[in-house]
Amino acid sequence: MISRVADHCFWLGRYLERAESTARVLGVTRNLALDAGLNPRHVWLPVIIVAGEEEPFQRRLGAGAAEDGERVQEYLTWEEDNPCSIKRSLAAARDNARSIREVVSLETWEALNALYLWAGSGRARAEWRDDRHSFYRRIRTSAQSLQGIARGTMLHDDALHFIFLGVLLERAGQTARILDVHHHAFRSLGAHDVVETALWLALLRACSGFEPFMKQLRGRVSPDAVARFLVFEPLFPRSVRFSLRAAAGRLERIRPPAEEELPGTESYARLRALALWVASRQKDFDTAGLHELLTRVVDETTEIASVMGRELLGCAPAVASQAATQ
Amino acid sequence: MPTSSSLFADYQTLPGAWDELFTDRGAPRPAFRKAIDAVGARSGAEFATCQALAERALLSQGVTFSVYADQRGTEKIFPFCLVPRMIAAEDWAFIERGLAQRVKALEHFLDDLYGEQKILRDRAVPADLVLASKNWFPQLRGVRPPGGVRIHIAGIDLVRGPDGVPRVLEDNLRTPSGVSYVLENRIISKRVLPECVDVARVRPVDVYPSRLADALRSVSPVDAFDTNAVVLTPGPYNSAYFEHSFLARTMGLELVQSADLFVEREEVFCRTTRGPRRVHVIYRRTDETFLDPEVFRPDSLLGVPGIMRAWARGNLTLANAPGNGVADDKAVYPFVPDIVRYYLAEEPILEQLPTWVCAREEDRVYVLEHLAELVVKAVDEAGGYGMLMGPQASSAQIEDFRRRVAAEPRKYIAQRRLELSTCPTWVESKGRAEARRVDLRPYVVNGRDGPWVLPGGLTRVALVEGSYVVNSSQGGGSKDTWVLAPEGT
Repeated sequence: MISRVADHCFWLGRYLERAESTARVLGVTRNLALDAGLNPRHVWLPVIIVAGEEEPFQRRLGAGAAEDGERVQEYLTWEEDNPCSIKRSLAAARDNARSIREVVSLETWEALNALYLWAGSGRARAEWRDDRHSFYRRIRTSAQSLQGIARGTMLHDDALHFIFLGVLLERAGQTARILDVHHHAFRSLGAHDVVETALWLALLRACSGFEPFMKQLRGRVSPDAVARFLVFEPLFPRSVRFSLRAAAGRLERIRPPAEEELPGTESYARLRALALWVASRQKDFDTAGLHELLTRVVDETTEIASVMGRELLGCAPAVASQAATQ
Repeated sequence: MPTSSSLFADYQTLPGAWDELFTDRGAPRPAFRKAIDAVGARSGAEFATCQALAERALLSQGVTFSVYADQRGTEKIFPFCLVPRMIAAEDWAFIERGLAQRVKALEHFLDDLYGEQKILRDRAVPADLVLASKNWFPQLRGVRPPGGVRIHIAGIDLVRGPDGVPRVLEDNLRTPSGVSYVLENRIISKRVLPECVDVARVRPVDVYPSRLADALRSVSPVDAFDTNAVVLTPGPYNSAYFEHSFLARTMGLELVQSADLFVEREEVFCRTTRGPRRVHVIYRRTDETFLDPEVFRPDSLLGVPGIMRAWARGNLTLANAPGNGVADDKAVYPFVPDIVRYYLAEEPILEQLPTWVCAREEDRVYVLEHLAELVVKAVDEAGGYGMLMGPQASSAQIEDFRRRVAAEPRKYIAQRRLELSTCPTWVESKGRAEARRVDLRPYVVNGRDGPWVLPGGLTRVALVEGSYVVNSSQGGGSKDTWVLAPEGT
């Protein structure tokens, strides 16, 4: 597959997952702000931090804006100058798809294009204004359906693998960031147990992990159990461990480890090492080491994406003397 | 008979123009009676609903072109009129024969020009005029492309005057565009007017991509089975990007950009996730002067250095072949009938428009005296630009062209303004169908086995009342073109 095309597939997956993740976080945080009785700043500031937008947000809107949930939501949903806003993420996902329309299936393209057109329409604005809950739910389910449509209509070849490689790496990073920021914020609150439990439940919901968590742990909510679940649960599709292992699996299919002459050696080695490292930390895990673990996941996924860019996605010159015989 | 509520109930043909669907007396042409009755069974209001549905479908399918002037990357749909243009089976058979003949002759012409130049030595066409073409590339002389084909895809524009005879308006032998709209428009017709397509017995157009892919592989430098063919696009910001990706997708080929390709040992490779991969055939939708900075524009950062060496060595097929522009030069066009006679020893099947070539003194004198009656065209411009419509022009515009023609006569030709034929066309603001002028671009695919003509083509329509200009850049739209199957088949 052409490297530039693979690059578009990868970023299509990442932006789609990012839009979904942002909608998820905003929806849940809004819900939490309504009934947890917390200082709005403690509720909304972490959301801005997770998006990596603290500095530009405060510069543009002032330090006090983080107390205003509406302004935070506006910024993370609609802001054209915020590259992480839902609107920009969807536009970027669609731009990548538009650059490879011959690669994604017609159904995938049409569904993504319809979502993009909707997000830019007055109907989307009206729904955001009148029924916020259903707006976020629509972004989330549309993004999820899109992944399903891609899986159900495209050849399960490298193009699909690269899309899901993007989805899974983004997801590993997002889960790690969300957990890190919230864990830190909740700890510093010194809030009442009941409130803290509500916060942790909200965090689980943001990761679609509430019901899976309850099923696995039968209702015993503790900060430690939630953190463990989101990092290590091997059966939960949004845990860091699951996402990394699945991402490594996709890369294995793109570039079978046995075919050593193919490009991608370092990408695969590092991704696999990271997945194994995370899994190995489950035993005698202490939440005191959570921040260090999550930081490494975030940094290393960024690093792996850049190595992949060099090795597989056409960000470096190629020479034919390496040509595989075809 | 159309009832008063029918779409065509009060349709008026345009005096002095041939109407594609109706006779002068307002009756449906016999070959189209069933189809016209089916389409016209809708009232104006019902048709408006269908038209709106069609436009929504085009937008959601992303059948759009980019608007260059707009920084935000706005995309628009190519305006589409749901009322089809129809062509009877026997008329089509004639057009088909004529197009195949013309493409064959032009193939011989190009091969000869870039080879021995017998036609110039025999003075069958004037050498000075041909070799003065901006699109004649002497540096390509002596190169014979793999498979021997140069015009893999031709788009030959046809118009009909008041006598109903189809005539060639111009040849497009470099990168003719628009075929994706032909296929997409048909999808829309089938979706919105299903029973009409059925009753009319319309010949299918969706075979085009597989015919083109076969033709491309048939002229590969290697075995067709082992051939890696790709489509080359300038990228998503090109106005025709939709079409490039459409063709790649429907042919099952990869869509590449210049930066994906490189040349080593005079072979072309593509950067892939599994390392470099050899490319044998490139269907290029980029301008030839941006193909290879080594040959055409040393100052250009675009293109693939060395790609022309790979082509000249026979390691690569480029479709269409570089250098074809000399044969679709508007100043060479008047000689195409002579070219047909010279190479094929046949009379041309298709007529064309009488043309004055300003490079010839006698013609130039006539043109300068009759500017107000003529259409003057720059030989190297397309898209309706660089053109004087004498009968509609202001005296300042006429004087401007007088100066231009006198200064650079080789750059201009002139023709009489043709009363283009009309076709009923939906007019949103009036809620009814009115006569609007149309042309037709059929597509010819040419591989090792010779030319094949797609039964259909792009009908372009001047949506503005009274306009003669059908180009999408200037208020034109398109229609689905229904070539009907012969009776009893």
